[in-house]
Amino acid sequence: MAEFFFNIDHGYLEALVRGFKGGILTQADYANLVQCETLEDLKLHIQSTDYGNFLANEPGAITVQVIDERLKEKLVTEFTHIRNNALEPLATFLDYITYSYMIDNIILLITGTLHQRPISELISKCHPLGSFEQMEAIHIASTPAELYNAVLVDTPLANYFVDCINEQDLDEMNVELIRNTLYKAYLEDFYGFCKQLGGTTAEVMCEILAFEADRRSIIITINSFDTELSKDDREKLYPRCGKLYPEGLAGLARADDYDQVKQVCEYYSDYKALFEGSGNAAGEKTLEDKFFEHEQVKLNVHSYLHQFHFGVFYAFIKLKEQEMRNIIWIAECISQRHRTKIDNYIPIL
Amino acid sequence: ESTPGIFRSEEVCLSQLFLQSEAAYTCVAELGELGLVQFRDLNPDTSSFQRKFVSEVRRCDEMERKLRFLEREIKKDQIPMLDTGENPDAPQPREMIDLEATFEKLENELREVNQNEETLKKNFSELTELKHILRKTQTFFEEIHKQRDGPVTARASASTSSTHDREPLINVEDEVHVPGELFRQIFGYGRLTLGSYRRTGGGDSMQGAAGPGDVIIADPAADAETMELTGGGGAGGGSMFANFGFVAGVIQRERIPAFERLLWRACRGNVFLRHSEIDDVLNDTATGEPINKSVFIIFFQGDQLKTRVKKICEGFRATLYPCPDTPAERREMSIGVMTRIEDLKTVLGQTQDHRHRVLVAAAKNVRMWLTKVRKIKSIYHTLNLFNIDVTQKCLIAECWCPVDALDKIRMALKRGTVSGLQEESGSTVPSILNRMDTTEAPPTYNKSNKYTIGFQNIVDAYGIATYREINPAIYTMISFPFLFAVMFGDMGHGTVMMLAALFLILKERQLEAARIRDEIFQMFFSGRYVIFLMGAFSIYTGFIYNDVFSKSLNIFGSSWRNTIPPAELEKHYEFPETPLMLLPENYTQASPYPFGVDPVWNLAEANKLSFLNSMKMKSSVILGIGQMTFGLILSYFNHKYFHSDLDIKFMFIPQMLFLSCIFIYLCLQIITKWLLYSAVGGTVLGYEYPGSSCAPSLLIGLINMFMMKSREAGFVGEDGKVSWGCSNNLWYPGQSFFETVFVLIAIACIPVMLFAKPYFLWKADKERRESGGHMQMSTAEMVLVIVAVVQIPIMLFVKPLLLWRRNKKETATRESVRADMNGGDSEAEVVHHEPKTNGGGGGHGHGDGPVSTVGGEGKGAQFDMGDVMVYQAIHTIEFALGCISHTASYLRLWALSLAHAQLSDVLWTMVFRNAFAQDGYVGAIVTYLLFFAFFFLSISILVLMEGLSAFLHALRLHWVEFQSKFYGGQGYAFAPFSFERILEAEREAEEA
Repeated sequence: MAEFFFNIDHGYLEALVRGFKGGILTQADYANLVQCETLEDLKLHIQSTDYGNFLANEPGAITVQVIDERLKEKLVTEFTHIRNNALEPLATFLDYITYSYMIDNIILLITGTLHQRPISELISKCHPLGSFEQMEAIHIASTPAELYNAVLVDTPLANYFVDCINEQDLDEMNVELIRNTLYKAYLEDFYGFCKQLGGTTAEVMCEILAFEADRRSIIITINSFDTELSKDDREKLYPRCGKLYPEGLAGLARADDYDQVKQVCEYYSDYKALFEGSGNAAGEKTLEDKFFEHEQVKLNVHSYLHQFHFGVFYAFIKLKEQEMRNIIWIAECISQRHRTKIDNYIPIL
Repeated sequence: ESTPGIFRSEEVCLSQLFLQSEAAYTCVAELGELGLVQFRDLNPDTSSFQRKFVSEVRRCDEMERKLRFLEREIKKDQIPMLDTGENPDAPQPREMIDLEATFEKLENELREVNQNEETLKKNFSELTELKHILRKTQTFFEEIHKQRDGPVTARASASTSSTHDREPLINVEDEVHVPGELFRQIFGYGRLTLGSYRRTGGGDSMQGAAGPGDVIIADPAADAETMELTGGGGAGGGSMFANFGFVAGVIQRERIPAFERLLWRACRGNVFLRHSEIDDVLNDTATGEPINKSVFIIFFQGDQLKTRVKKICEGFRATLYPCPDTPAERREMSIGVMTRIEDLKTVLGQTQDHRHRVLVAAAKNVRMWLTKVRKIKSIYHTLNLFNIDVTQKCLIAECWCPVDALDKIRMALKRGTVSGLQEESGSTVPSILNRMDTTEAPPTYNKSNKYTIGFQNIVDAYGIATYREINPAIYTMISFPFLFAVMFGDMGHGTVMMLAALFLILKERQLEAARIRDEIFQMFFSGRYVIFLMGAFSIYTGFIYNDVFSKSLNIFGSSWRNTIPPAELEKHYEFPETPLMLLPENYTQASPYPFGVDPVWNLAEANKLSFLNSMKMKSSVILGIGQMTFGLILSYFNHKYFHSDLDIKFMFIPQMLFLSCIFIYLCLQIITKWLLYSAVGGTVLGYEYPGSSCAPSLLIGLINMFMMKSREAGFVGEDGKVSWGCSNNLWYPGQSFFETVFVLIAIACIPVMLFAKPYFLWKADKERRESGGHMQMSTAEMVLVIVAVVQIPIMLFVKPLLLWRRNKKETATRESVRADMNGGDSEAEVVHHEPKTNGGGGGHGHGDGPVSTVGGEGKGAQFDMGDVMVYQAIHTIEFALGCISHTASYLRLWALSLAHAQLSDVLWTMVFRNAFAQDGYVGAIVTYLLFFAFFFLSISILVLMEGLSAFLHALRLHWVEFQSKFYGGQGYAFAPFSFERILEAEREAEEA
């Protein structure tokens, strides 16, 4: 039934976002971009794409930094426009998208403060989608409890943070734990929200979020080998909304090395394929890249094959983010004259 | 061969240009001014940044950026930009360097000034903020001071009532630390006053700030200690704060609530914040946008809290300022600040003056510069399309250009070469223009002016004409407004429409200069000549229909006379039951009304509609068939122009025969009936004609013609009696013979249309291949296609034929309705079948004769019998069925005209006429009021809405019914390289 009334509230924005998605760079564009000799060439070519004149008013020489800023600015403008025009429940859905950026920003700021970097420098590195009012005051906190009580309690992330409150100092290990606990809580919450929305949104988004959850579990497991993270602690970090839950996660919790992880994932056809043919040798794609590719091509792009759901908004942001990573990668390769790896971008579509 | 330009598109040829590399730039500049050459991209595989002149393009981009920057700054200062619309020549390449230098200088100067200004402004705003801080803190300290001087009464009076207030707060905060108590000592009085504010609902801005403070001091044990302190420390407020640190600063107003909350949380309530709004609106130094700020002051104790507070301030982008402790110092500082502000103001004023001067100087030229830079850029873009000769000595370009303009182009090239080679003495090789042969279809270039462009757009919206085919725009210029007017015919509404368009035409220069970007206005404005003609023609048809706002004009005096003798009328008053008949037969002597419809019809309530309907329907059919025939004749000229004998013989001739045998014959019948059959009987075409009841029925006649039904000849039987259903009888000698012949010819035309052309094409192809090609299509396929195609006429005709035969055997009644049903049946079947054949045809669409032949023979590569056959089948079906459905479609002329007339009649009777029913003063007022209702509805519904609907129907009649007879519309538009177009496009993009 929801389909019948979807367009009344969200039709305009869905159309808009589908239009934006049409402007995503194609293989041919990438083929042209990698041929560029200088960043000026890149600018010239990118003018002929949907990005248009977004670099036209930049005085002086173009740097990767500037490109990155402008790309982000464009994404934020588009997102803000959508967000400002959104009605419930889409508005909440869009807010959920920004939470993950907020988590990243918090972690970035805390880590930066730990390393005694000035706050202004850190702020400029934060993703503008995840900025919030109290963000810049984060560095006053020295323990998670303080962080929660002083800063985060007013933000939407407060609920996620409850599990991390203890009086220990913020050190790198703890920050990593906080990040993963936050993410876990966030993903589970978002998953629940999408499930509750029901319909096609639940169908599409739960698939994407389940994959995201499993991806995190697997990566956490692999990265935790040879660290001081105990197996019990590790298990607490697994988001419990993926396909791996519960048997797979139990398996992962027991895993001691890469092969055991692989073994656990053998039982899941989707993940089995990703483990096959991945590796660190030259010419092979890393597991992370494989995951990204799966997320992009299989899930986000496929979400556009359905209509009347919110997944397209999520997918748009994620695809655009991947595209920005690609452009920045290519720009970096060009500016550093390091062309051998320039083809390592992940094309969309 | 060379028909005048307006009938067909211009002849366009492909040419090759050899340009000296030194002269290439100037030559292209000249061609850009001329705007008659369309360049082709000779390096389509090279990406945009690998082309030869990419660095120049980039330089232009940079210049454009600087100019945009300048323009932005100029707009920011609201300096009017001089835009004379003058068109400077494209500057020479060396001038580009000058321009670059100028812009560079200007930009740097401006940036420097801006930077200075920004620093100054920043200083200024900092000082202003400091000033506000000093002022606000002063009042704040003074307030406390005052309360300290006369505290006892205030406290005594307030404490009794305020304890109630405090009660619920008592248990809220258990972690009242020592500093909290100290605050209480200081601010105890402040709280009481605030408490009373709250009760009276006073809106002091300080009230909110008291929130945290209020909680801290909610301690019942306050009084004694306060007494002590007041006793001891009466010396003055300022010295009190020696125990505490405080910071003062400025923060954006909207961030205050979050700031306050965070402070409270992070310092566990051990700081005290007061804030007050700055009433002046400050400007953001970076963006110049106005922002509202607030002054705040935070008290705390201890260094730990100090760093923490400072960090929070930093986090909220609050600026902290030093603020001295004692009033004297503050006053002193305040004076210092004021003088510095005054100084800064003068400096700032000077800087702004300087900036203003720079901008005013730039504003005079900036539009002209922009035009120049855009010209340069477009020239280099064009040069990037060229091929560079290996020797680097010349550039090779390919372009489409109108043959007529070749001389002009040569002249332009000569001019360009001369000016380009002026400085580079030595090489004086002229630029060469070479005509090339090509098999590619050239672009379609229709010359137009401001009058014809509207109509050309109507045609082009359907599809750009195939190269050199007949351009229907010229005929559309008359037929379009005319068909519109047939539907819209009303003198009054036509006048309104014409006057509106006339206004747009007369004011066209001013309106164009005003550059109104509104889409709806643009639509009307660009169609002003179309609308004008539509209005004018509507007046004419309104005159024929004798319709002004649904009323008639009796200009020539009605020809109607009363034929009933007065005596009989008298009798009628006595016996109203006896009907009076106005029989047309009795009315013989006078001539018809000289022009248009007799006004008396407007009063004939009973049969006005049946008369007008019959007249309008018949004239619609005549007009429609006339236009279709004209379209068909145009197709002959197309075939002839493209030397397609095959199309003339096997397409045009059978089509024409088909049309004339059925439809033109129908038109002739209509006209004959109008001319010969009147109300009065007599001998018509050799038959005794008893009177109007026997006037031949054309519709039934047409059906009977197809049924080949035997009918009686003449209206009166041999016994002298008028035969029953005499209107269906034959009405001229030899009618059944002629009609049989016509039907047979029409039917015979169908297979000719269907098979002849494919057969001859196939034969010609076979002869060509005889030498040793292979057959494209296998025999089996061929047989299948032919079998399938043969089905079509079988389906079309066999069933009706069999039904007709059976019918004839069974009964000879005059039932002719069944034919209609059968006709409907067969049509439905064909419609069902069409998609199948369509699928095979694939994308041929509306393509007409010339296209298929030109395309097929031009490429000359492969002959696909299946394709040709399917295409032909579609075309034949489309034509044969189209003739019927299109004729019916023209009836919309009648239908819309009827609707229009009825609507305006309704508006008159239901709205305006009511006004005349009133007498006296009331009548005057009602007339006055109702006129506006009537006028408004007339304009909005009848002129705008009905006008739009009639416009769309006229559009459809032209696109579908008229143009489908001859128009291919498979061409592509000529898009010359022209500065005018480029600048206009840039301008529009800028304004969007």
